[in-house]
Amino acid sequence: MAQDSVLSDELLHHLMAVGHVDVLVGVPTLNNAGTIRPVVKAVHQAFSRYFPRDRTVLINSDGGSEDGTPNLVRNASADDTETVTVSHSLRTIHRISTPYHGVPGKGNALRQIMTAADLTQARAVAVLNADVTGITAEGVASLIRPVRDQQYDYVAPVYRRHPLEGPLVTQLIRPLMRAAYGWRVREPVAPEFACSSRFITHCLEQDVWESELGRVGIDLWVTGEALAGGFRSCQTGISPHPATSSRTPFGELFEQVVSSAFTCLERHSAYWLFRNGADALPLAGPLPTSTVEAPATDGSRLTEAFARDVQNLRSVLESILSEETLASLLRVAETQGSHLRYSDELWVSTVYEFLLAYQRGVMRREHIVQALAPLYLGRTGSFLRQFSSALEKDVEEALESLCLHFERAKPDLIQRWNSAR
Amino acid sequence: MAQMIANAVSQAGTNFLESLAVFLPRVFTTLAIIIVGWLIAMLMRTLVRVLAGWVRINVAAERFGVAPLLRTADLPPADALLGAIIFWLVWLGFLFSGIDVLGFTSLEGLLVSFWAFVPRLMLAVAILVVGFVVANFAWRATLLAAVNARVPSPRLLSGGVRWLILILTGAMALEQIAVARTVVLTAFAIAFGALSLAVAIAFGIGGGGIAKRILEHQFPEQRGSSADEISHL
Repeated sequence: MAQDSVLSDELLHHLMAVGHVDVLVGVPTLNNAGTIRPVVKAVHQAFSRYFPRDRTVLINSDGGSEDGTPNLVRNASADDTETVTVSHSLRTIHRISTPYHGVPGKGNALRQIMTAADLTQARAVAVLNADVTGITAEGVASLIRPVRDQQYDYVAPVYRRHPLEGPLVTQLIRPLMRAAYGWRVREPVAPEFACSSRFITHCLEQDVWESELGRVGIDLWVTGEALAGGFRSCQTGISPHPATSSRTPFGELFEQVVSSAFTCLERHSAYWLFRNGADALPLAGPLPTSTVEAPATDGSRLTEAFARDVQNLRSVLESILSEETLASLLRVAETQGSHLRYSDELWVSTVYEFLLAYQRGVMRREHIVQALAPLYLGRTGSFLRQFSSALEKDVEEALESLCLHFERAKPDLIQRWNSAR
Repeated sequence: MAQMIANAVSQAGTNFLESLAVFLPRVFTTLAIIIVGWLIAMLMRTLVRVLAGWVRINVAAERFGVAPLLRTADLPPADALLGAIIFWLVWLGFLFSGIDVLGFTSLEGLLVSFWAFVPRLMLAVAILVVGFVVANFAWRATLLAAVNARVPSPRLLSGGVRWLILILTGAMALEQIAVARTVVLTAFAIAFGALSLAVAIAFGIGGGGIAKRILEHQFPEQRGSSADEISHL
């Protein structure tokens, strides 16, 4: 175990003072001064209300914030928590804020948190997103309980949000991961999760931490690793997914998420190539019931440039897509323009052929992912236009139908994947 | 008189026969060298193609964008092209060795010149290959970046980048093999300067609107991108 290089002397000193813990909550941060206080408050309330007899610790792993985030965590007033809590923790609630070393990125922060959890032999570990304000004590407790009380190894969150929200998840990552891994995970790219010490030990033994996947795609990898590793996994509802003020521009975000998904599938191919169907992941806690509103956009602006983009990228797409798929794509782009209907079948073929091109390395991999971005925008715009005024139930049905299309096309993907090796 | 003529003819005949006796073995040696060289060159070509297939050079050529360019230029695939280059280099080497054996004064040093030329030729070929790869990479990177950033005329922009690199590469390769060095350098300098000037004038005078749109794209806070309108995660 490379604890020496991941944990600083100061952090080791703090952890030795803390000793063994039952529940550890990690919060990676980087300039989150605007949102960190409610997160810390929710954690403290969760410790006091729901785990008063447990030995608990909050670890803030900071990537070098310049806005005083670590100080806000360290100096979070006891009044913030105690004046609003009904019960009090019977034990000292430890709170550590520490910088992590290496390139800023969630991977290094998570590695530090997991190493600390491994060292303190934490029974249950939850990782929270510092970029939100909507997390509640109940949400934190919902994440921790399945690990602490029901011996689950991995807990993925389920947000209450409108099905038209998060199209990168609903149109691409969720159906792709579901069809491949054979598990219906609703939020495979969630920054929040909880896990057991067994899963943490397994993760720390993997060689992902120094890679690009570890730097920018660790959330997705954790989900994939839990499923592919056969760890006992479940889902639980947490508070409404807040509208994050995403600081990453679309292009960069798309490249990070899709590259990570494709890389995960490559790493876990020994698992998913032999997996059929898609089982439901158990639900360990109640789903949030708050009402949500549909996004304001109808997607029309997303499809404006679709036909032009497809024509411009034609020579690149020729190296990635099959003749049949490219012909269908060109036909859709030429005949329908900004009013296009990008069908489920065509979208599934597109995604799978991009994945195969990524596997074969027909060109530099970042170029393959960049070439998919305009097609994704076209598909998303098409879907939003079609369902912007539809009932939530109808949108959910359409998303389920898309997932089933991905599942039905999987045997062909497997055959082509194997023949390319 | 008649005796003199007979002696002269006899001497000439003797000289011819002596020359023939000296020259014929050289001809046979030359022929043997050329035939053996051809066989060795064929063997080398086969070996290189097998090795190229083993290291999947065609896949690499496809990945780095060399293969489409070869197809456009009606050239064989990368492994066959590499085999052909090796074949001709080896066989020409043997051919010149064979000719050297004939002992023609005017052809003396041909082999030395040929072998002196080969490294420069190889370097020129290497420059061309690297140039093709870099040009294709830059073309694709520019095209994708321009399309995703909604820059106007992405194909024109990326095509311009590709041709600039290809022209530069071609000039460098021709400079290596010293073909019309002065003409190539002068033509390149004039063409490059004229192109830069034309682009500058066109962009400065005629492309004000395009420049404005591009600059607007560089400052998204002034004008929201359609892709950033929604939260994708």
